[in-house]
Amino acid sequence: MKFLRSGRLYGIVLVMLALISLPYWASRYWVLVMLLFSINLALSEMWNLLAGYSGLVSLGQQAFIGLGGYALAVFSLYYGLPIWLSIIIGGTVSVIFALLISAPIFRMRGVYFAIGTWTVAETLRILFSNWKYVGYGMGLFVKPAYKLSFNTIYFTALGAGIASVALVYFLLRSKLGLGLMAIRDEETASETLGVDIFRCKLTCFLISAGVTGAVSGVLYLHNIFIQPYSAFGIDWTVRLVFITVIGGIGTIEGPIIGSFIYVFLHQWLSDYPSVSLLILGVIAIGVILVAPKGIMGTIQDKLGFEFLSPRRK
Amino acid sequence: MAGTFLRVEKIDVFYHDFHALWDVSIEVEEGLVVSIIGANGAGKSTLLNSIAGVLRPSTGVIEFGGKKINGLMPYQTVSEGISMVPEGRRMFPRLTVLENLEVGCYIPKARKRKDEVLRRIYELFPILGERKNQFSSTLSGGEQQMLAIGRALMCEPKLILFDEISLGLSPLIIKNIYQTVRQINSEGRITALLVEQDIQRSLKAAHKVYIMQSGKIRLKGIPKDLSQEEIRKAYFGL
Amino acid sequence: MLSFLAELKGPIVNGLLLGGLYGIIGIGMSMIFGIVRMVNLAHGDLVILASYLSLVTMVYFHISPLITLILVIPVMCLIGFVIQYYLLNRVLGKGMNPPLLVAFGLSIILQNLLLLIFTPDARALLTSISVQTIPVGDFLNLPVVYLVDFIGSIVTIALLSRFFNRTYLGKAIRAASDDEGAAQLMGINTKTIYAIAMGLATGTAGVAGILVGMTFTFYPHTGPEYLIIAFGVVIVGGLGSLLGTFLGGLILGLAQLLGAHFLGPGFQLLSGYIILLLVLTFKPTGLFAKG
Repeated sequence: MKFLRSGRLYGIVLVMLALISLPYWASRYWVLVMLLFSINLALSEMWNLLAGYSGLVSLGQQAFIGLGGYALAVFSLYYGLPIWLSIIIGGTVSVIFALLISAPIFRMRGVYFAIGTWTVAETLRILFSNWKYVGYGMGLFVKPAYKLSFNTIYFTALGAGIASVALVYFLLRSKLGLGLMAIRDEETASETLGVDIFRCKLTCFLISAGVTGAVSGVLYLHNIFIQPYSAFGIDWTVRLVFITVIGGIGTIEGPIIGSFIYVFLHQWLSDYPSVSLLILGVIAIGVILVAPKGIMGTIQDKLGFEFLSPRRK
Repeated sequence: MAGTFLRVEKIDVFYHDFHALWDVSIEVEEGLVVSIIGANGAGKSTLLNSIAGVLRPSTGVIEFGGKKINGLMPYQTVSEGISMVPEGRRMFPRLTVLENLEVGCYIPKARKRKDEVLRRIYELFPILGERKNQFSSTLSGGEQQMLAIGRALMCEPKLILFDEISLGLSPLIIKNIYQTVRQINSEGRITALLVEQDIQRSLKAAHKVYIMQSGKIRLKGIPKDLSQEEIRKAYFGL
Repeated sequence: MLSFLAELKGPIVNGLLLGGLYGIIGIGMSMIFGIVRMVNLAHGDLVILASYLSLVTMVYFHISPLITLILVIPVMCLIGFVIQYYLLNRVLGKGMNPPLLVAFGLSIILQNLLLLIFTPDARALLTSISVQTIPVGDFLNLPVVYLVDFIGSIVTIALLSRFFNRTYLGKAIRAASDDEGAAQLMGINTKTIYAIAMGLATGTAGVAGILVGMTFTFYPHTGPEYLIIAFGVVIVGGLGSLLGTFLGGLILGLAQLLGAHFLGPGFQLLSGYIILLLVLTFKPTGLFAKG
């Protein structure tokens, strides 16, 4: 119960209130920024769960972004299902797909896993580009989303962002989390202690797939238009990698900081997207060379505390 | 007395936080076979690695031929005339016997004399000549040891550091190897610094011995002058 | 039956020739993977960088792409050396992720740099041979440029093989990749050796880039496509041998074109990916892996 009394809780509540009330006192520009921030936050928390906590550097999360987005489009457009249901289906489809590929994918280690996941995503990209049902490479418009108000989409995105941070937080405090921390610190030793590494990693893989798929549905409520080249493109992973690495891989707060930096940079240089990516790349390399634990990781090392600590006290 | 005089003076060496060598000093005169004896973990290999440049002493000085060498990288000590036969042989498994030897004379001044030196190595170790185009990973333990020594000889060093060359080998092969070491020393006039766990072997082969225990030098002297009792006490740190 | 086979002769021959090109694309990655135990995620972008370098040189000096080799190869070697010596050497000891991520960052920087400098327009290194074909007998038309790619690939790989087997530097590189510590004891400065190896690898990327540019159109973002191809070649062919990598290229090329023949042109890349995924799953060390 110490947690309830801590100042941190009040800080978090305050921030939440500000965010929830944002549309009523801030300009639409800032609501948009926070919308994008929330989505990127959710996606990168999931990538962080894989790469930072499970040791699975995946370059293929865009597979689930595409699947989730297309599920939203197909089920709401073709089958007339309500949007929230389509989003959930998107998450489910992603989990199922992740389960299907888990058998071969998990046989791949390290960099093989990275390229393997990327190849899977590229395969989906080609398949969807050649699939008449989803309009080939010309894509689909998520028409049912037109009727949603901008604020509705904002709140959904915000909810997704907050939920993903909370999810990771409570996950890491659970038994699974304990296993993950053990794996992260010393994989072979933890195996001898009975930690079922495979189950731990698989669970994280499935969770991150499902959440990514669902969040992608929310994303495409905003984007409205989905086509295979961008939905299954490596650009997504590029963003997530940079956000997480710069913010602090293996920390819960890392993606928060990283997403801020990314969205800010992206909006500031919105006329020059290549420049923003260029700068991001340079910063990322600089961070890896100088402060490999990212901004948050280095702060944690220096100051010796964690803001959202998953450690049990 | 410059030349190949090796002087290690009061060095302390750390492996991360572990204090491996305490105030260690040794002197190796030119043309001698000097042996460092000690049990596992006594610090013998650490000492050799510090001389070779693999480890850096935090205090103290290592001089060779009057020149300070502590602080040099391993690839630089070779140019100074110090060669090492590392613990465990450390073959290049995907290279042939001949290629292993050739890599041994990588430094420019050794390359010119490669063919002549190679001929002498084949005289010393005929089996290497027979197997010269085989991959080094196919050699037996004893043959690998010979290759490691041959490789160390290729750059015509003035001082060779031998790290536990009898490990994992049968007594007969060990006897042959030590004979070769003596031969290299007497005919080739190469100074040898040997690290060994086997006490008797060392006493027989060396002109001078040091006994180490727990990172410190406990005893030094000429083999025939040391008593079994003294040696035993130093070896076990009693 | 015979006519079925006769139908296949086109895809088979073209697949093999294309495979030669894939082989040279993969060689650089194979070298780095085998020597420094690192996957250079920027390899594909380095290939495309070379294509653009060749383009610039071609236009500036009014020479044909093959002549630009004279300038492009040394420049690419230098770039590779610098990247390894000042950047990658610094992160090499620090676990598996940092080198991957640095290379990833480099990849993105390269792509966007090229985008800014050259715009997203499609480019090609056009020469007279780009559209020529040579008739073989009366049943086959070989695109000349594929033939040039194949020959260029073989020549480069043969030269590399000579280098690794006959020169001190080549043997030193192999020794350093077997056992870095022992190599140091031989007088080999492994930091510099790794940088030289990387320089060689990007040199081959230079050759590959010119050949690629002559064969296909390229954009600033084409890099990752060739990265996957390179990786496919290396994985399928296995580590540790130049010949294996070359064979891996042939297999990949064959798979792609046969796949395109049977499933349609949109599935050319896909066939390659399927082969890659299969090998990754069942025999990640590759089909021709050495010891």
